[in-house]
Amino acid sequence: MKLTAWELHRLESSPKSNLRRAFDRVLTFLPLLLAVAHIAEYKLMPNFPKYAANKIAYPVSDTYTVFLGILAFALLVYLVWSFFSEKIYEKLVHSAPLYCVITIILTLYDIATLKTGTLQLPYFPWADRILLAIIEDRRMLLDCIRNSLVLLFTGYLSGVAAGLFCGVGAGWSKKIRYWIMPLLKLLGPIPSTTWISIILVVASSLFAGSVFMIALGVWYPVTMAALNGVANVNRSNFEVARTFGANRFELVFKVAIPAAMPSIFNGLTQGMGIACTALMVAEMLGVESGLGWYINWQRGWAEFAKMYAAVIIICLTFTAVNLVLTLIKKRALRWKEEYV
Amino acid sequence: MSGRVEIRNLSKVFARPGSDETLQALDNISLDIRPGEFVALLGASGCGKSTLLRIIAGLEVPTTGEALFNGDRICGPSPKRGLVFQEHSLFAWLTVRQNIEFALKTSRQYHDKKCEIDKWLELAGLTEFAGNYPHQLSGGMRQRAALVRALAVSPDVLLLDEPLGALDSFTRMNLQDELVRLWQERGNTMIMVTHDIDEAIYLSQRIVIMSPRPGRVSRIIEVPRSYPRNRASGDFTVLRNEILKLMDFAQEQQYDYVI
Repeated sequence: MKLTAWELHRLESSPKSNLRRAFDRVLTFLPLLLAVAHIAEYKLMPNFPKYAANKIAYPVSDTYTVFLGILAFALLVYLVWSFFSEKIYEKLVHSAPLYCVITIILTLYDIATLKTGTLQLPYFPWADRILLAIIEDRRMLLDCIRNSLVLLFTGYLSGVAAGLFCGVGAGWSKKIRYWIMPLLKLLGPIPSTTWISIILVVASSLFAGSVFMIALGVWYPVTMAALNGVANVNRSNFEVARTFGANRFELVFKVAIPAAMPSIFNGLTQGMGIACTALMVAEMLGVESGLGWYINWQRGWAEFAKMYAAVIIICLTFTAVNLVLTLIKKRALRWKEEYV
Repeated sequence: MSGRVEIRNLSKVFARPGSDETLQALDNISLDIRPGEFVALLGASGCGKSTLLRIIAGLEVPTTGEALFNGDRICGPSPKRGLVFQEHSLFAWLTVRQNIEFALKTSRQYHDKKCEIDKWLELAGLTEFAGNYPHQLSGGMRQRAALVRALAVSPDVLLLDEPLGALDSFTRMNLQDELVRLWQERGNTMIMVTHDIDEAIYLSQRIVIMSPRPGRVSRIIEVPRSYPRNRASGDFTVLRNEILKLMDFAQEQQYDYVI
């Protein structure tokens, strides 16, 4: 029998009852229906009287309608596609409940803010205002994203380099460990953001100081991970390599480091979390650019829609950064069972 | 033909971790292994057979006495003495082909022998699996890969530390036949640590029986049979019983009669 993995899955999964089948089909329509209902609600339901009375102070545009329209269109494409591909259909059935809840939350938020005024301005801008803020300030936001990423990666990569150097060295050689361990024990428990006040005073440039702070935060977990990883490499790996005549360089770079990679990647992920936190602290307290600074600056102007906009952009940026890291990890560790 | 290993009055003492006491693993071992010979080191666990193998590999230093390889004192590992462990022999982060390449590169033979890699893969029956990582292979395939990787650098001696110990008995018998085939083809010395009496009789020309605590050579038995051997033959059983008796495992059979 020659089967694809998909056909095998179909054959071996228990058959669904007709009722269940019908329910699943209905379920696939729900997100689209709810999205359309949300558009209708947004367009047709009367706005909160205070906002409706003064259209200049409280403008309501169709930006959000377009945004919802795009979402609805994507859902429509997904739905149509699901009629032609069983795989897509199963995926849609799987994610439909989540999409429904997201749409419902968006609808409820719109009702609570724009429609009934339960949550009022300036603290709770409706979705359209946030979207407008993003579009209006896009140049500045892009600039901020770029500056944030430059600072984040300068700090992160220096921290990773230092961490790998110290960790691999200390894992490999007892002499290096003798000197690194006290440093680790001393600096490890101090959150790297503690240094911000000192850095603000001492550092010649805030950028360099922030890089140092981020790098310090990343250095610790990466060092620990690399140290443990290298120290716990199965001895037989080294022994076999030595019987092939491997020299010390090859033992470190071709055996110890590759074997320690799973542990090192744990440190890299942990370090990224710390780097993101340190970046925000640095930008909010000192550095005069970047997304953290932008939020703080807009707070000064009581521009709440722009603050929310920045939060969304920060969320998207960090998600993207972590996604890239995960992809690199999957690629680098494809020799491990759990990453296939 | 080179591949002579001589052990002269060798003793090995280990420090017990976390205490001041020491433990004698090997006591005054003397042994001569001829070039091209297949020798099995047989004994219960704790008899120091693996330690002896590791000393020959150059991974441990003898406390007193000496180990010679082709007349020279062994003072470290060398590609001339290949090693295969029971498990974790292959590098998990390299594919089968990369594992063989690693061996050739680190032993500085890559340029001369890279064209032989395909031959080795075929010999191991792993041509289709050359691009697979070790965890994607069965236990038997992994050990076959480890074997040909060790052989690829043309060692004079192949040291086998229970290489088939973790395999099921059918895979094991298959691989035993393959070991004999490879050995006859290449003619290098084979030293195999095992606790399996049948395996020792089936494979080796001489069986060194070791007794535990401290490890001593208690007896050396010649197995003057031609290859391939017959596992079911009568003298196989005779030899087996003899070894069992030597190792104090053969009790008089006692029958309980219930009428």
